[in-house]
Amino acid sequence: MIKIFEIREAFKQALDSIKVNRMRSFLASLGVVIGISFVLLMGWVLSGLDKAMSDSFKMMGVDVMYVDKHDWSGGKSWNEVRNRPNITLQQANKLIESLQSVELAVPVARRWQAEIKYGPNKYQGITAQGTYYQFGYTPGGSIEFGRFFSENEDQYSSNVVCLGWKVYETMFPKGDAIGKTIKIEGHNFLVIGVLKKQGTTFFDFIDNIVYMPLSTFLKTFGKFRRTFSIAVKAGSEENLDNARAEVEGKMRIIRNLQPGEENDFSINESKAFEDQVKIIRTVVWSVGIGMTLLSFVVGIIGIINVMFVSIFERTREIGIRKALGAKKRTILLQIVFEAMLLSLLGAIISFFFTSFIAYITGTIIIEYVPQVEFLSPFMPYDLLIIASIISIFVGIFAGLVPAIRASNFDPVIALRYE
Amino acid sequence: MDNNILIKTEGLSKIYQMESAQVIALKDINLEIKHNEYVAIMGPSGSGKTTLMSILGCLDTPSSGSFYLDGVDVSSLDDNQLAEIRNKKIGFVFQTFNLLPRANCIKNVELPLIYSGVAKEERYGKAVKALEDVGLGDRMTHKPTELSGGQRQRVAVARALVNNPSLIFADEPTGNLDTKTGEEIMKLFAELWKKGNSIILVTHEEDIARHAHRIIKLRDGVVIDDFRNPNPVIA
Repeated sequence: MIKIFEIREAFKQALDSIKVNRMRSFLASLGVVIGISFVLLMGWVLSGLDKAMSDSFKMMGVDVMYVDKHDWSGGKSWNEVRNRPNITLQQANKLIESLQSVELAVPVARRWQAEIKYGPNKYQGITAQGTYYQFGYTPGGSIEFGRFFSENEDQYSSNVVCLGWKVYETMFPKGDAIGKTIKIEGHNFLVIGVLKKQGTTFFDFIDNIVYMPLSTFLKTFGKFRRTFSIAVKAGSEENLDNARAEVEGKMRIIRNLQPGEENDFSINESKAFEDQVKIIRTVVWSVGIGMTLLSFVVGIIGIINVMFVSIFERTREIGIRKALGAKKRTILLQIVFEAMLLSLLGAIISFFFTSFIAYITGTIIIEYVPQVEFLSPFMPYDLLIIASIISIFVGIFAGLVPAIRASNFDPVIALRYE
Repeated sequence: MDNNILIKTEGLSKIYQMESAQVIALKDINLEIKHNEYVAIMGPSGSGKTTLMSILGCLDTPSSGSFYLDGVDVSSLDDNQLAEIRNKKIGFVFQTFNLLPRANCIKNVELPLIYSGVAKEERYGKAVKALEDVGLGDRMTHKPTELSGGQRQRVAVARALVNNPSLIFADEPTGNLDTKTGEEIMKLFAELWKKGNSIILVTHEEDIARHAHRIIKLRDGVVIDDFRNPNPVIA
């Protein structure tokens, strides 16, 4: 049985010998520093991405889905999607009337790549959406300043508009948008509201949007050969599956699909973005994992190397210890602890190093490169714990072979080693 | 078995298997050493005295024959059990001192106690006492490099004594010391013997061996002489 005092002693000895060879210890742990830094930075980027994504979903509403001709996830071929028949306003309204299990459903018409002008400011590439006033009740329609348009404005096709956050920020950098008249594709609109910011970083295209009453939209951009989508709010995340099933069933009837025929429409959820993010994740991981593994191999070799030098340098000391009653496992523990501490030392150095990078990124670099906004200025704690555990295992792994070698030294020979 | 017998060997042999040939280091050694004996093992280099000391000191195991230490058959023990015997029953003093260079005197002397799991305070007390006993009460926090050869060897003696062993091995303890300092160390051994310790001295020097009360001479792995020293040198 290994006793506590043996562990304590092995730990102390290991610490001593690292202290004596500071420079060598540092160089030995450098490989681990690089390896752990990679792991930490990668985890940091990914956790930033995840958070940005889930924040955006929350803002858009996790219980909202869009019935659409197009497929957002990119899972369907472009040709197939293009050949689908448009969803007409009649079909959209039919669906909305027939749905029973959902909280809210409204038709949405879109114009992509629209251009907005305000005075000398021009902003291209926004999405103009026409919908019913009820859209204001969904998370996607929640208002930061001003108000959403009313039922009346919808009925009378008023030229009023609510701006997405990014549009607002770009067109009105000084704020104060409400009551201003802007031009959308050459038509005058009165700004009555600004929507809450929804997307973070990579997802800020979500805020590249303006909302107007559907009747206004159709009057302005025309109603012929237009496809509509239907925004459906399930009411709760639990009801999502239920609602999706109802939407799909009803929509198939409306579209006259026979059993066995494929859907000629898509039900898109905010989760569709997840697939896109997954691609980014996979790229980050595969680059990162490769680099990490490589640097860990280098790290392990570095430690093994130094440990071998160290045990041969201390052959005599090991002989003395054995002569005085150190058992095999005492020596084994000492060497393994030393390797483990070296590795842990590397991990600690990389904690400081990566935390520094994270902090600089979150406080200074962000001023110049706003795209890094999704990155937290602090390393997540759970990552530090995981990295410590990895480094401990790396150390034990690297220390094992030299430790076994040292513990098997013949004391008679070791004592006479010069 | 006689309770007073510390070491007993029967047909003890050690054969080293080299690539092409066998080297017989010890052949059929039959010895009996009692408690509180002061024995010198003598012989020229290559006589097998170092091999004998390694086996009697439980650093090595014999190829054949048996070896009883304090009534325990040591030749059948495994590495860990041998380590424990070395720790509890044997104290070593080496020609080259073999102190840990980075540790101070106290830490060096404490080492055997650490391996036997003695608690910190008790360990410290025993180490201090052992250092005082060899006359180094004022050098306790010095490192070996800050001490003279004679002082280093005293630290080694203190370390050998600290666990109260049954037997102290001294392998050419004066080999790296000048004559005067060597004499002082031999005086220390004489005192230890008087206090009831058993001492085995391994040496090739007649002058040193004459301090012992019994002299065993080896040549080519065989005991060629084993006699009482009629008048040991009183240092």
